[in-house]
Amino acid sequence: MKKNHKNKFKTPEGYFDSFNERLMEKIAKEESIIPKADGFGVPDDYFKNLNDNIISKLDEKEPKVIPLKSYKKFYYIAASIAAIAILTLAINWNDQPQLGFEDLASAEIDAYFDTTDMKLSSYEIAEVVSIDELELNDVLENSLEDEHILEYLDENINDIEELDLENEYYE
Amino acid sequence: MIAEEALVKELKQKDSQAKAFEVLVNTYKERLYWHIRRIVLNHDDADDVLQNTFIKVYKNIEGFKGDSKLYSWMYRIATNEALTFLKQKSKKTEISDQELKTAMVENLQSDVYFEGDEIQMKLQQALAILPEKQKLVFNMKYFQEMKYDEISEVLETSVGGLKASYHLAVKKIEAYLKSD
Repeated sequence: MKKNHKNKFKTPEGYFDSFNERLMEKIAKEESIIPKADGFGVPDDYFKNLNDNIISKLDEKEPKVIPLKSYKKFYYIAASIAAIAILTLAINWNDQPQLGFEDLASAEIDAYFDTTDMKLSSYEIAEVVSIDELELNDVLENSLEDEHILEYLDENINDIEELDLENEYYE
Repeated sequence: MIAEEALVKELKQKDSQAKAFEVLVNTYKERLYWHIRRIVLNHDDADDVLQNTFIKVYKNIEGFKGDSKLYSWMYRIATNEALTFLKQKSKKTEISDQELKTAMVENLQSDVYFEGDEIQMKLQQALAILPEKQKLVFNMKYFQEMKYDEISEVLETSVGGLKASYHLAVKKIEAYLKSD
């Protein structure tokens, strides 16, 4: 047979291989009592509007699901917190360092003495605090300077003679 | 297919995703709709399932590895969505799968989007009593005119098995239609 070199037409790959099978199917379909259409229809413009419907559905945020028995969640949370607290206390119970006197800030000690009635008599204080180390200025709020003494004497003593300067104690 | 690969690539990129998705919906919406419609029968249900199918495709495109063709992956999602929808419906109404299918066919009589005549109604009755696999193969082959290779990819069944299923389905339907 002479080859047709002028034929520029092509067929899909495997077209002739599957031709018989497709032909037989078509004939069977033609002969079959099964209807060729199934009678389903769609609303007008359904496919035209479908894209917009899908896009709008994509943009919708997923609704938050609220469980019906939501209080149960809180019970679990409360129980978890309590369990953690007990566990933490149990672990740290014996690890508490012993607090010493040194750990107290001096401000706290001052505050304690200021606000607490010590109910100590002068004798009891004298027993604790040595009189030899005590100076006048330790018990005065403002330090007593010489000029303050002279000022006082100048204002309150009219006659210098009143002062018993003869007292041998002062000699 | 190169065009399909390019489309998948565009679907995975943020800047080209929206446009590629539009192309995808336009390309497959009718084919997938009819595939779903022949499973759920009712238009509103088919519309719901179709939209969910596209949303699932959009959200899961990152996971599409390209081991199978895009269209067969989408057909698989559509098939699963439709069958799951029917299962949930039968659970909600507390009736068996078979009772639901019979009820669905009966509802076609009052469906404004079903214009079938007596023989077409009988065809639906015949399909309702077929095993699920045979019904799927029949619809995909007879009405959607898909090739066995394509059906094989979607249903993950051998071509030989599909041919047997289709042959059995045709025989059963013909027998049903010939009966009174």
